[in-house]
Amino acid sequence: MKGVLHHASIIVPDEERVHELAELFGLDLGRRKFVQEYEADCIFTAGRGAGIEFIIAKAGKLSKFNKGMGGLHHIAIAVPDLESAKVELAKKGIPLLETAPVDAGPIHINFVAPAYTRGVIVEYVQQVEPRPESPEIQPPVSASTDTGLTGGNDTSRRSEQQIFKEARTLRSRGQADQAALLLRDAVRRGWLSPEGVEKVGRHVSGYLKDSASKCLEVLVLGQCTTNWVSTCLVASAWGGATAVQTTDGQYDNVLQELIAAVDSGRRYDVVVLLPWNQRLLASGRGEERARLDEEVAFWQRAWQIVTVRMSARLIQVGYDWISPGPFGHHLAGQAEGPVHLVRQMNERLRGELPPSAFFVDLEQASGLMGRERFYDSRRYFWTKQPFSEPGAARLAEYIWVGIRVIIIGLKKVLVLDLDNTLWGGVVGETGPMGVEIGETAAGEAFKAFQEYLKQLTSRGCLLAVSSKNNPEDAREPFEKNPALPLKLGDFAAFEASWDPKSVAIQRMARTLQLGLDSFVFFDDNPAEREHIRQTLPEVVVVEVPEEPAQYVQALEAGQWFEAVGITAEDRERTEQYRAEAQRREVQNSFATMEEYLASLNMLGDVRTIDDADLPRVVQLLGKTNQFNLTTRRHGLEAVREMLAHPRSIGLTVRIADRFADYGLVAVLLGVEAPGRDVPILLVDTWLMSCRVIGRTVEEFCLNSLMAAAVAKGYQRIEGQYIPTKKNALVAELYDRLGFKRTKEDSESGVTYERDVSDAAPSSTLVARRT
Amino acid sequence: MNRDVILNKLLTVFRDVFEDDELKISAATKSADVEGWDSLRHVSLMLNVEQAFGVKFTSSQVASLKNVGELIELVESRLASKSGEGRAR
Repeated sequence: MKGVLHHASIIVPDEERVHELAELFGLDLGRRKFVQEYEADCIFTAGRGAGIEFIIAKAGKLSKFNKGMGGLHHIAIAVPDLESAKVELAKKGIPLLETAPVDAGPIHINFVAPAYTRGVIVEYVQQVEPRPESPEIQPPVSASTDTGLTGGNDTSRRSEQQIFKEARTLRSRGQADQAALLLRDAVRRGWLSPEGVEKVGRHVSGYLKDSASKCLEVLVLGQCTTNWVSTCLVASAWGGATAVQTTDGQYDNVLQELIAAVDSGRRYDVVVLLPWNQRLLASGRGEERARLDEEVAFWQRAWQIVTVRMSARLIQVGYDWISPGPFGHHLAGQAEGPVHLVRQMNERLRGELPPSAFFVDLEQASGLMGRERFYDSRRYFWTKQPFSEPGAARLAEYIWVGIRVIIIGLKKVLVLDLDNTLWGGVVGETGPMGVEIGETAAGEAFKAFQEYLKQLTSRGCLLAVSSKNNPEDAREPFEKNPALPLKLGDFAAFEASWDPKSVAIQRMARTLQLGLDSFVFFDDNPAEREHIRQTLPEVVVVEVPEEPAQYVQALEAGQWFEAVGITAEDRERTEQYRAEAQRREVQNSFATMEEYLASLNMLGDVRTIDDADLPRVVQLLGKTNQFNLTTRRHGLEAVREMLAHPRSIGLTVRIADRFADYGLVAVLLGVEAPGRDVPILLVDTWLMSCRVIGRTVEEFCLNSLMAAAVAKGYQRIEGQYIPTKKNALVAELYDRLGFKRTKEDSESGVTYERDVSDAAPSSTLVARRT
Repeated sequence: MNRDVILNKLLTVFRDVFEDDELKISAATKSADVEGWDSLRHVSLMLNVEQAFGVKFTSSQVASLKNVGELIELVESRLASKSGEGRAR
């Protein structure tokens, strides 16, 4: 992109200084204009060539530029065409501040924030009329005096009515895909009212039916009417880029509907069970204890059918109360009171639920919104559906989060900006001790946010920084300012540079060996958020409010780091990823990979899966995507049943080295192949954590499996690679390990075999712990 | 607000609820005439009509409607009692 200097702008305190400088520069003054928005007089020099614009700011933010002293503010570059300049800049990850160029009379203008130019505010100018002798140019519309972009740039936001109108128009033109994407974007950005969410659900259900796409099949059964909730669920899932089709059962007919579903042979991936309290709280049903037992027994029968006979995953919603009822609020919470009954019931459900199921705590969900808003008595009596529209939409979000966690997996990394995200102010200006943290109202809010994040790390979530700053400036507050709850050690990755953030995040993904879909992005700057949305659509972008006091709430609303259960290993994870980053540095100093691996003194611990391991094994089955040869998401009952067979083999492998204890990193499940003339072990599942890839742990796993197979008298091992979007990493694993390909087809992938007898152990640098 | 005005305003609500910009209704229109007008959608429709006119219906009023004509009458009577209240104050 070729440009020429159009003008430079200088902010001055008064008109006297304008004349002084003009004389000093030997320039004549030309036209002037008062710009209301900036409360500033703008005076241009006259004559040929690039000019100078003097800005006399009377009040407003321009008057505060450079602590009120003024000075060189921005330079303006004239380009032939703003649109192509925009495209060219976007390729470099540099957004223009305004979504559309600003019409400034004879010229159109747009701006680049100083964050992208290392400190220079740049105005791009396109001449639309012959250049007058002294062009009138408005001062930069959004150029603030700091180095960050300014907020509130949400001009693309459309009203709900416009969105649906546009979607209908697209559909009527036969562009159903675009309509569906438009609606997805609206859900994702939180632009819709609860009514709008429900409407999207209806749109999308129809769209998915018409397009015959492969969907996640969800059966929703309730003791109340479930239609609104399930329609909203379709919308929530669609916002999360997942095609979900729901089927509703008859109101309060749960067991019969389940048995009918089994008999129909139709496959469901997930069953959602939604209790309502009319039976639990009905009068004249004996004392609390007996009621609870009876109600729990009912759901246990349902769970049995769902997990064993339907092999579906289970989402169990809890019970709730709407009001204390005739007991009054004092007695309702005591034994035999309705609130007490509901709470006891939820505790029982939680305690007895199959471990691989997800419990949606309705009492928490409604409490957060407020029961008076969450429920609507008219709707209950009109339709036997107790939820208001906002309540139904909110409950659907919670259910969707449960499905996301047990079927798709967890988010792992939270990427944070620094200035005005983790603290107030710009560290490059204030220095490490001057950032706003604690003390002021905003400072306390930033501090509370940091404390919240610190707790997230102990939940196994990795924190990372992506900041446009000088690396030293960015690190200093964490090292020197004791008021910051977060320390450098709390971050698994720290990217402070002037590169576009998309580049920084991709670099992190490589270092941490995680997919981009494990990332959540939190940045106070709307332009950066838009940049990530457009360049890295897999990354979840949180809509960050302007008010730091609401940061925690905004982050929590998406429930991105919800998990089935916290294992001790979750807590260790941050430590391990950090160790891996250090190891990579060590790696460079070794001559050969083998030398390096040998220096790690890796120890492997192979164990037969027992009950204590099962929750972690099921967790890994649920979330491992890359090193996973068959991606079978077995639930806890399925694994237990598989391993109950005496011919089955279930192994876990734990790895430790001199840097870290990785804990349980690999799971191998093998069953006897039916109807063969020689005993053949079929590898049902082989998965491994990516943290230990490329360290001969694969070979160690195979050797361990071979040994177990020999001990049970197997003669051959049969393996399978079922390709998914994410597991290309292991496409040739079996080839590499000396297996022969026996069958290939597009449905079941590639089948391999290897004799146990001729198998020399594969070479590994992992020693077996004895 | 006369009946034509009410009908016109209702038309906007109907088109929005049933998502059909071409939808036409008259006093004689029944639920069977409109695609998707089932008992559940009926409730959504009523809630939207309430919102559009700033009135509230009772459970029995909602349950007894036979066609759009009756809905117009219902809206009319609720608006009248509303403005009556206003005068009384």
